[in-house]
Amino acid sequence: METVIATERLNKKFGEGDLQINALREVDLTIQRGEFTAIVGPSGSGKTTLLNILCGLDLPTSGEIRVSGKPLSSMNGTELSRFRRNHIGLVFQAYNLIPVLTVLENIEYVMLLQGISPRERKDRVRDFLGRIGLEGKEKRFPSELSGGQQQRVAIARAMVSEPDLILADEPTANLDSETGSQLLDMMRRFNREQKMTFIFSTHDPMIMERATRLITLTDGKIVQDERRE
Amino acid sequence: MFWKLAWRNLWRNRTRTLLSSFVIAFGLSALVFVDGLMEGMTVNMVRNATDTFLGHAQLHRQGFRDELDVKRTIADLDQRIASLEQHPDLERWSKRVLSQGMLASSAGAEPVLVIGVDPKRERDLSKFDEGIRDGNYLESASGNDMLVGSKLAEKLELQLGDRIVLTGIDADTQEMVQELFRLGGIFHMGTREMDEAMVLAPLQTLQKMLLLEEGVHEVAFRFSNLDRDGFPQTPVMLPVDDRKNKLQLWSELMPALNMMKEWSGVSMSIISIILFFIIGLGITNTLLMGLYERMFELGVIKSLGTTPWQATRLMFYEAACLGLVSVLFGILLSILFTWIFATAGIDYTGIEFSGVTFQEKIYPALRWERLVQYPFWTFGFTMVASLYPSWKLFRMMPVEALRKRKF
Repeated sequence: METVIATERLNKKFGEGDLQINALREVDLTIQRGEFTAIVGPSGSGKTTLLNILCGLDLPTSGEIRVSGKPLSSMNGTELSRFRRNHIGLVFQAYNLIPVLTVLENIEYVMLLQGISPRERKDRVRDFLGRIGLEGKEKRFPSELSGGQQQRVAIARAMVSEPDLILADEPTANLDSETGSQLLDMMRRFNREQKMTFIFSTHDPMIMERATRLITLTDGKIVQDERRE
Repeated sequence: MFWKLAWRNLWRNRTRTLLSSFVIAFGLSALVFVDGLMEGMTVNMVRNATDTFLGHAQLHRQGFRDELDVKRTIADLDQRIASLEQHPDLERWSKRVLSQGMLASSAGAEPVLVIGVDPKRERDLSKFDEGIRDGNYLESASGNDMLVGSKLAEKLELQLGDRIVLTGIDADTQEMVQELFRLGGIFHMGTREMDEAMVLAPLQTLQKMLLLEEGVHEVAFRFSNLDRDGFPQTPVMLPVDDRKNKLQLWSELMPALNMMKEWSGVSMSIISIILFFIIGLGITNTLLMGLYERMFELGVIKSLGTTPWQATRLMFYEAACLGLVSVLFGILLSILFTWIFATAGIDYTGIEFSGVTFQEKIYPALRWERLVQYPFWTFGFTMVASLYPSWKLFRMMPVEALRKRKF
């Protein structure tokens, strides 16, 4: 199978001296294309830090990380931005749509950065709107949508540019269980149909139930790595 | 998309944007208005000075104005006047005799500058006839009527018809000469120098008294078709071989007025810099507040793959939108302010400044090119003011911004 992401002896420390915190310790992780992975663990275990490092938002104190074979440690700010734009889709807990852009504009934003033609952008957005059940709402602003609808748009924004990897940090935390379940089913469907790779950071049992791989982090260390089919 | 994003971001906090825009627009309109006011004031002062007495240009014998030496009459007077009459824009001219002297009445004596004029020609060139407060303007170039400034008349306790004695020095023997005049009129020009120390006498009487024969010391000229600064559009000059006489434009004759005109330009530059600096600070503040308020959101935008340069562009576009709106608003305000005051005028009548007394209302004069220059600079400063917030955004680490809220 194709390796999408691989980390080698990843360490991340915050602070200095007595106040130093080891957020990640010697994390070795390999994610294959098409995996639907949940990283679980108590608060403060390093889940968000790991996701930040995997998408190049934060840098490890030591260790190496390769996404689709590319080492992140040698990239500068602009290269990391381009890397995220072209290889990573992000889904945030609080949706984090750009409030002044419409549904259509939010979804096409990353494609615009990628330089995809307006026609193709529109086609892809319309296709995705149908798949996430938001046809006819492309001109709405985020404030005019429910939480579940906003998160659907956020998922569409993450997936429409066809990234190698989608990182989602507690994507269901702000949703009721029914909406959360629907969204997870939708993401699982995309995962199965398009072999999209997902990594979740979560406490949500619904995600854990659906995950094909469950990685448990405690005090910054992987203490359990369970594969399920 | 970035333009759209910038435009919509700008109006997220409508009140703040409107306030900032108003500050910029008001600053711009204040600049245009003050510039127009200074322009109007200068035009008014130049017109007052040239219309009241000076004329647009004067001809003298070389060195005459340094010491007012009565011997130094204009050389080849008729030829010079004839040659200057060829100027296409010459409207009129007036010959004058100028001399320092002492004017005595029964109440005392005062030093004066006596000007001998041909009343008919002088009436068309200066405004002494309009300034007569008591009595009458001179009737002929001969005779013994004299016009005296209002303050001088007070000092010498003069009444119309009083006899007054002018003492001067003749041009031939440099001996003291005296002539008896009768007070025919009192003028009030509103300028201290003229009202306190200037007297007008018939040209021929003074020429006779000072033994000048047909000689004069000064010819003042008025021209039409002036440029915006009050200068004849067609150059006025003497023949190159005339080394005896000197022709000077009003700017040389009243250097203080010319200097004031130049200084008004410097003042405007200083005012502009101060105002642009204040505007710049306001814009930087507005953009920074917007930046800090949207720190998390901008973190999201950057985390989605927006490069630092693209994020910087976004900030520039926001500044450009703010600048453009403000500048358009400012142009409208400028036109409105200037139009209101240009219609109503500002009453400075009677106030003396740089040796010139305002005799009519000042009407701000809007120079249309200022509606391009000042908005251009305002817009430019808006963009310069956005450099710091843009730099902050460029340097902003998305992960730091995202830590402001839960990822």
